[in-house]
Amino acid sequence: MVRAMISMRGVEKYYVPDEPALAEVNVEIEAGEFVFLVGHSGSGKSTFIRLLQRELLPTRGQIIIAGQDIVRLKNWKVPYLRRNIGCVFQDFKLLPNKTSYENVAFALEVIGRSKHVIRTQVPEVLRLVGLEDKMESYPDELSGGEQQRVSIARAFVNRPPILLADEPTGNLDPATSLGIMSLFNRINKTGTTVLVATHDREMVDSMRKRVIALESGHIIRDQHRGVYGYGD
Amino acid sequence: MAINVGYFLRESVLNFRRNWVMSLGAVITIYLSLLLVGVSMVLGVIVSEIVQSVEDKVSIQIFLKDGAATEDVEALQGWLLADEMVDTVNYVSKEDALERFKEEMAGSPEIVENIRENPLPASLDVTLTDPRQVEEMVGKIKANETFLKICDRPDEPEESLKYGQQIVDRLFAFTRIIRLIGVVFVAMLAVVSLIFINNTIRLAIYSRRKEIGIMRLVGASNWFIRAPFLLEGVMQSLLGAALAILTIVAVQAAVLPRLQEAVLFLPVDIAAGMMIQLALVLVVAGVVIGLLGAGFALRRYLKV
Repeated sequence: MVRAMISMRGVEKYYVPDEPALAEVNVEIEAGEFVFLVGHSGSGKSTFIRLLQRELLPTRGQIIIAGQDIVRLKNWKVPYLRRNIGCVFQDFKLLPNKTSYENVAFALEVIGRSKHVIRTQVPEVLRLVGLEDKMESYPDELSGGEQQRVSIARAFVNRPPILLADEPTGNLDPATSLGIMSLFNRINKTGTTVLVATHDREMVDSMRKRVIALESGHIIRDQHRGVYGYGD
Repeated sequence: MAINVGYFLRESVLNFRRNWVMSLGAVITIYLSLLLVGVSMVLGVIVSEIVQSVEDKVSIQIFLKDGAATEDVEALQGWLLADEMVDTVNYVSKEDALERFKEEMAGSPEIVENIRENPLPASLDVTLTDPRQVEEMVGKIKANETFLKICDRPDEPEESLKYGQQIVDRLFAFTRIIRLIGVVFVAMLAVVSLIFINNTIRLAIYSRRKEIGIMRLVGASNWFIRAPFLLEGVMQSLLGAALAILTIVAVQAAVLPRLQEAVLFLPVDIAAGMMIQLALVLVVAGVVIGLLGAGFALRRYLKV
């Protein structure tokens, strides 16, 4: 039996009583899968992602990542969990006073990687995302798409088994978004499990990956080779 | 590890420079409170040395009435010497007493000139082996019959005795008050320095909230995130401690010799060992204040 990379069983999350942000969530994601998480704003996509990062704890239920029950994980172990989960956000979260190279290097520096490792891995991952010419550029000298590539490089430089993305193309035009998605695809091909929360209909429809659709905190559809949805 | 230490130092210095006004405020308050701790320690040492030297000089003077019989005086003297609390007994005649008085009053000749006949009584000066037994010895003397017979004022034998207990008591009371005031001031300044450090660290956390967010995101360990802030707090207080130590050393070198000149009869010296002890106390107190202040700020403002 293949053990799931991410397993959520009976997960519920309430911010206020009687209004579930997530309810009855049962999801198994295998290692190496590419999954889209779709739904309107407020449907629970971000809550879903933040639960996996252990930014939030579920009100009820069990979340297991790579065999580890992250709900019961001790606080001091959380950083080690996060080293295995790369994260990409809509607003890039780059440090404006650092170059592309320094932004990516920072992620390795603060988890105590040696200078040698940093010097070899950072240029490599920047080449992977297609920014080998922009290593010394500051974020405000880069386009939105390029900034998002830097942030993907930072999320992936440590080669985490899981990559989470919360609306990664929310601030980008369609053509740029396409480039970002194909980058996720390439990263997925290296064996990394990728979970992308989005409401970019075209993107989801064109990629034909597994789609989990959320509405008011409930999973209304979980479909392999799926599309964004009907009508609405 | 070598990388980490360099990283922490760089970050702390950077924070210090970013918020240098607040940091300077923190350094100055720590400096002042540690300076006060140091000064009160030094004063404590000097005062206790003075008390010691006064105690050494504590003696009991027994005033004798004019025309007391020589054998009675000798009997009293013999009885005193036989007591094991007594170290020495000195007979001071009326003439000796007047001579001594004139010497002491050499600065005010008008008083000396006005003395026609000798108003001073003869006395027995008694020194004790242990000055703390003064009270006990005085009690014994008061009960002695020979003393009652030949003392200067038989109606009030109390008045025929003079001893330094009051001086010693007063000195002790004085040092107690000084210490109390010192402790209160030091406690208040310590609280103020804690608040200052707490504030500078809070600002440092605020100005680096983006970095902290990313560090959390990529899995920097909690202590890795906290260390630069703790180090910053400790650096501020160590700077304050160093300034306080320097000030005390400088003041000691400049003032003590002059003070000693002014009051020749009292010892106002501080041993080198004492200074090292003092420096250690200040450094340790500084580190504790720094860690506490930064620790409070981290607990309140840094979620990891």
